[in-house]
Amino acid sequence: MNSTKEEFLEILSNYQGILHKVSIIYFKNASDRVDNFQEIVYQLWKSYPKLQNKNSIGSWIYAVSINTSISRIKIKKISRIEYRETLPDIPDSSDIFEELSKNESLKLLLNAIYELDEIDRSIMLLYLDEKSYDEIAEIIGISKSNVGVRISRAKESIKQNIKN
Amino acid sequence: MGNNELQKIWRSIDLEITQIPKDELELLLTSKARQTVNKFLSIIIIDIIVCAGVLSYVTITTLDRKEDLILLINNLSLGIITIVALLSGLFSWYKLQNNKFDQPLRNWLEVRIRLLSKGLTGRFSKLYLYLIPVLYVLIVLSIHVYFEHKLFLEVLKTEESLIALFVAAPIGIFVSYYGARKIRKYKLSNLEFLKDLYGRVINER
Repeated sequence: MNSTKEEFLEILSNYQGILHKVSIIYFKNASDRVDNFQEIVYQLWKSYPKLQNKNSIGSWIYAVSINTSISRIKIKKISRIEYRETLPDIPDSSDIFEELSKNESLKLLLNAIYELDEIDRSIMLLYLDEKSYDEIAEIIGISKSNVGVRISRAKESIKQNIKN
Repeated sequence: MGNNELQKIWRSIDLEITQIPKDELELLLTSKARQTVNKFLSIIIIDIIVCAGVLSYVTITTLDRKEDLILLINNLSLGIITIVALLSGLFSWYKLQNNKFDQPLRNWLEVRIRLLSKGLTGRFSKLYLYLIPVLYVLIVLSIHVYFEHKLFLEVLKTEESLIALFVAAPIGIFVSYYGARKIRKYKLSNLEFLKDLYGRVINER
């Protein structure tokens, strides 16, 4: 195995939690998550040679993971709309909630995250992963103040959903 | 519920995640890369086969019927449209595949929207809607005239040919136009979704 690939796999191995978490917040279905995970790995590998700042590996992985997932959620969403015209109410085969253990608080939190829109989901994930407002602003490409506004609104919505 | 409480709950997700060993990650990467290359190759091979098929047909029939100027013009237009359509199709697919994901979400959306908009809302965006039915008519005419073993204009003067053309052409034109429109609609909804996302990203509410 050449050193670049070895180095890449080492990074991937250490940071794979990000890929899993981004896939979870965008896809409930297990097979969709696996496909998404694989696509993110491939996109990371494609952009790895251009990674300049090795100190911001985390931000790079978040950016690629979020962008890749959004590009895939869009495909799923459109095809689902077309599909529902003929076959309504097709349940997902294996749901994330069935896979999680008895961690009820996590299930409630995840359920509330699924109620957010695609953009706020990413922002909340970064917030929950304890990223600073600066980092979130850089990964999403919005101002720091906007990050603050969105986070406080999303938190309110999550808390409200959990209460109900 | 405090703010830190949410982060504390979220942290417990790490216990639910099954870490994938390095050798399996490598396998995932290799198989995905292979899939992508195979997809690209199969698209290129199909394109080349279609292109070569049409061009061979056009060349053979034109050489065989050099005296028929109208058939020559018909076939030449057919050849040019085929090559241009296939090349532009390959080029836009290649451009989309090379979309860089390693940038802020806002920038990535901007680039993606710009790329899709060029083909869908640009000056010549609806050209292929009309080009596909034209291509269909040119192919039908070319095949029909060639196998009738008569000159282009003579064929068009026979009653059977005219009836066949009047029946087959509108059906074919309708089907090909409908198909092209359906694809365009799908791509437009894709673009609308991205624009909606972008609107939500830049919205400083």
